[in-house]
Amino acid sequence: MKNPREVTRSDVIMMIGIGIVASVVGIALGLWIDWFPAAAATQATSIDTFYDVLIIISVPVFVLVTIIVLFSALRFRVRAGEEELDGPPTHGNTRLEIIWTAIPSIMVTALCVYGASVLSDIDAAKADQIQVTAYAQQFAWDFEYTGTNGNKFLTEQMYVPCKPTTEAAGEGAPCVGRQIKFDIKAVDVIHSFWIPAMRMKQDAVPGIVTHTKVNPIRLGTYPIVCAELCGIGHSIMRSTIHVVTPARYTAWLAAKSAAKTG
Amino acid sequence: MPAQLKTAGWYRAAAFTLLGLAFSFSLTTLIRSLYGYTPLIDGAAITIVSMIAVPFFFLVGLGAFDYWFYWASGRPTRAEDHASHGAHSWRDYFKVNTDHKVIGVQYVCTTFFFMFIGGLMAMMVRAELAAPGSQFVDGQDYNSLFSVHASLMIFLFIVPVFAGLANYVLPLMIGAPDMAFPRLNALSFWLLPIAGTLMTGSFLMPGGAFASGWTAYAPLSTTQPLGQMCFSIGVQFAGASSIATALNFLVTIITMRAPGMSFWRMPLLVWANFATSLLVVIATPFIAASQFFVLLDVALGFHFFDATIGEGRQGNVVMYQHVFWFYSHPAVYIMMLPGFGIVSEIISVKSRKPIFGYRMMAFSLLAIVLLGFTVWAHHMFVSGMQDWIRVPMMITTAIIAVPTGIKIFSWLGTLWKGVIHLDTPMLFALGFLTMFTLGGISGVMLAMVPFDIHVSDTYFIVAHIHYVLFGGSLFTIFAGVYFWFPKMTGRMYNEKLGKIHFWATFVFFNLTFAPMHVIGIQGMPRRVADYADQFAAWNFAISIASFFLGLSSLIFLYNMVNSWRNGKKAESNPYRSLTLEWQVSSPPPIFNFDEIPTVVGGPYEYGVPGAVHAIMGSAKPEPVAAAVGSNTESQEG
Amino acid sequence: MEAASIEAADTSHGHGDHHGPPVAHHSSTVDAQTLGMLLFIVSEIMVFGGFFTAYFFIRIVNGNPWPAEGEELPQLIAGFNTAVLLSSSVTMHWALEAAKHGNRRGMKLGMLATLLLGSTFLTVQINEYVHLGFAPYNSAQASIFYGLTGLHGAHVFIGLTLLLFATVRVFKGHFTPDEHQGIEVPGIYWHFVDVMWVIVYVSVYIL
Ligand code: HEM
Ligand SMILES: [Cu+2]
Ligand SMILES: [Cu+2]
Repeated sequence: MKNPREVTRSDVIMMIGIGIVASVVGIALGLWIDWFPAAAATQATSIDTFYDVLIIISVPVFVLVTIIVLFSALRFRVRAGEEELDGPPTHGNTRLEIIWTAIPSIMVTALCVYGASVLSDIDAAKADQIQVTAYAQQFAWDFEYTGTNGNKFLTEQMYVPCKPTTEAAGEGAPCVGRQIKFDIKAVDVIHSFWIPAMRMKQDAVPGIVTHTKVNPIRLGTYPIVCAELCGIGHSIMRSTIHVVTPARYTAWLAAKSAAKTG
Repeated sequence: MPAQLKTAGWYRAAAFTLLGLAFSFSLTTLIRSLYGYTPLIDGAAITIVSMIAVPFFFLVGLGAFDYWFYWASGRPTRAEDHASHGAHSWRDYFKVNTDHKVIGVQYVCTTFFFMFIGGLMAMMVRAELAAPGSQFVDGQDYNSLFSVHASLMIFLFIVPVFAGLANYVLPLMIGAPDMAFPRLNALSFWLLPIAGTLMTGSFLMPGGAFASGWTAYAPLSTTQPLGQMCFSIGVQFAGASSIATALNFLVTIITMRAPGMSFWRMPLLVWANFATSLLVVIATPFIAASQFFVLLDVALGFHFFDATIGEGRQGNVVMYQHVFWFYSHPAVYIMMLPGFGIVSEIISVKSRKPIFGYRMMAFSLLAIVLLGFTVWAHHMFVSGMQDWIRVPMMITTAIIAVPTGIKIFSWLGTLWKGVIHLDTPMLFALGFLTMFTLGGISGVMLAMVPFDIHVSDTYFIVAHIHYVLFGGSLFTIFAGVYFWFPKMTGRMYNEKLGKIHFWATFVFFNLTFAPMHVIGIQGMPRRVADYADQFAAWNFAISIASFFLGLSSLIFLYNMVNSWRNGKKAESNPYRSLTLEWQVSSPPPIFNFDEIPTVVGGPYEYGVPGAVHAIMGSAKPEPVAAAVGSNTESQEG
Repeated sequence: MEAASIEAADTSHGHGDHHGPPVAHHSSTVDAQTLGMLLFIVSEIMVFGGFFTAYFFIRIVNGNPWPAEGEELPQLIAGFNTAVLLSSSVTMHWALEAAKHGNRRGMKLGMLATLLLGSTFLTVQINEYVHLGFAPYNSAQASIFYGLTGLHGAHVFIGLTLLLFATVRVFKGHFTPDEHQGIEVPGIYWHFVDVMWVIVYVSVYIL
């Protein structure tokens, strides 16, 4: 009779097989799950792709650990009559230890390189920018634009222009927009300016001006959220960004500028 | 003066507490009158001074400083009479006791007490979040609930419970009769209930409990009602307690190992606490400093964090976060490394195999200690700090995953081909292995700046910290408590209830926290009392699961209480373990060993024919004869 | 601190179930008290590290002028105080050497001189606070100035308290050439307090 503690070649093949299947299923699941809100800026597309890569790398790591734990628990568990038995006295294996130091090192290095490149991507400044100053205070957002007449005005709702690339110009239509550059200021305590649909987030810090940029690519209306605990009304400190056609934007800007001067 | 007030104890402590209140009142009022402040009697100022001074009066009354006063007065050195050593009845657990085993039990019971209080608050948080809108608390109360929940869990449960478990087993493991500084050890313990009382009691403050999270970012924390001071001051007491204990562990490990117990023969739990203690001694002062700043800003009008007082004289807000995270990142390892030690013990014993790559295990602990100090700003990728710091911090953070990975693979190597005893401690250890892997993976994801920009301060972080702290640390704590329960109480726990507890915890833990990854990425920020309707379904499911998770801990509570009272008597070494704590009776004799054992081999030589870790009893020249009988169980090849 | 020498059991207090602990094995040449003090000093250095971080951010990162406009720091008086504190390190060392040689008079004089110099330092420091002309709430620079010097002052106070205990014991006839840890260990702390002051002085008053 076969010794149940023996690990045969076919066991190993089976584990590898199950591992591959589980990884494929896991990765498929990970990619299929609708994790992110609709991507409304180029930053969002880069980060989403990055996340997919992270999923593809992570799932096999988890599967590896889990399979070995489960296999060991099932195969090597103590059976009747083995209560006094001890395992083989292996103290280590230098080759294995080098492998499991080297491979993760290479993996995280690769990730860091990729991460740094995505970071410089999403941070890249474009020549053609619209500058907006975001003011955070307990518990509301105010946005300062430069009007058509050069005067500044404040608004609670953000509008940004984005030129549709298709015939349709409704909610969700693809578009190319000018880069929006935010200067972020806090009046009282720390807040955090976050547009989940554009994936960008930046704390608003009293005493300094912080910055972030987004390049809109999708028409629509998206929430702006305060992400840093700022007191009693933190959870209701929200606003909205409207990504609209250039025509609508110009009209809005003109109306706002006029209201300010008038 | 009645005799009760002369001897150390609770009566004297109560009297001194009153004295402390009177002292704080007079001191504050005196100073205010000297400065000519109005009103002369200021409730807030008196409260703050009391929170600092009264605990010392209480400790003096309780007797924590008796011997030191005696010494300081210049009287002759007294022969140690061990009057306050060991527990002879349950009452001794409520006194200043210098026995590390008593202190260990005091620690574990106290910390679990605060764990249940913190858990109750978590249940209230989840009840509020079960549906969008406001259920039964307002914004400030909600913020208080999660702030006190997190602070209790971190500063009064996870950090000190490890100190408690190690207090019990570490001196035994290295063959020491006690810790190096038993009185300091007792003081460390008694600082904890003080910190816990301050934090829990902050709900009684005008304006409610502190509500700026366990991170207490300035300037939110410096503009909060008085309850915030309960955090700032409570953390000082908890921090002093952990520094004192860490110092004690380090000195004990360095100077009190049994003959033959070289560093490379120490059990990994001892190594882990050595590494942790280094972290504590070096890092904890930083959180003390951060809370001093907040205290000074609030109480005395300093301007460390005031950015509005004028150009050329303003404070710096981001500085708080640097100082805070320079402690609090190492703190996450303070909350994890002792757990690594616990699972190393359990996995080796329960697989009946030596630890795979013992030296690498020890080296990776030290690597984590070193690297742990180089990654703090990964909590600050969106904080407005200098942009150039981000990429270096991303790299160091990613690198720290490598030694962590080495440990995981080494545990897997230990399991492989072992003879695995799947009882409750082992189930929790294996549960830890898989859940902590998930937490580590989400950690590496968070290290990646572009992804972190999106998920920082969202429910994804909440998921990550619970996978590492609940699925990681807490699972190892459960494992350790079950594992050493026979040693500490002399009785066996109920295995069946233990297994039910494990499976209930494992399942509902995942049901509670896994979905948080999703809602975080979808856009739900953390620390909110209310949320957009799109997250309602997930939150409802999470809340339901979390209630079951809460209930599952009652199984544990029942098992512990009932087994302690009625469990069947435990043998001295029910697991055939080699390490020293199992070579003495359960519970161990009052001074641990009749004679210090002599260590002659590694701690994990399971399956090595004839291997011996230590020779008990006297190390007389004829050890062969002495070894038989008192020695470890026979081995088979 | 010589209490650490554990005497053989004393059974008179009625715990019939023990006979005193076994004597712990000394696994290191370093002595436990000294090691404990050194580790404590590591912690203390880090507390100062936290305050120096604040100093760095307020002064360098913020680019604030130092000291703030309209505030002035008395370099000379503080320099004098530095000399006072440094000489107290010398007298401390003297006391320890005297203890090592069994010179009781030297021990007493050394400890008293150290106490005196230390108290002088504190008095001068407090007097400086009174006459500075600015308060911690005047500016962030003032906050960190008071923060750092106050933190250091608190350490001087702790050091003096420890030394006072040791002095009491000296006068009660304790400490011998073989047994003088009670002077040595607080002495280490005192030297640390002095070295720390030099760093504080240089970065706050001089630079
Ligand atoms: C592979 C190892 C780990 C890596 C790479 C890692 C990485 C990170 C990163 C980058 C963050 C910051 C996320 C943000 O706030 O935006 C974070 C947060 C956190 N991590 Fe980890 N982590 C690891 C392991 C651990 C462990 C072992 C613990 C505790 C036992 C832990 C506890 C925490 C906590 C409590 C937070 C949240 C702090 C807060 O903002 O309240 N992590 N982790
Ligand atoms: Cu806010
Ligand atoms: Cu961290």
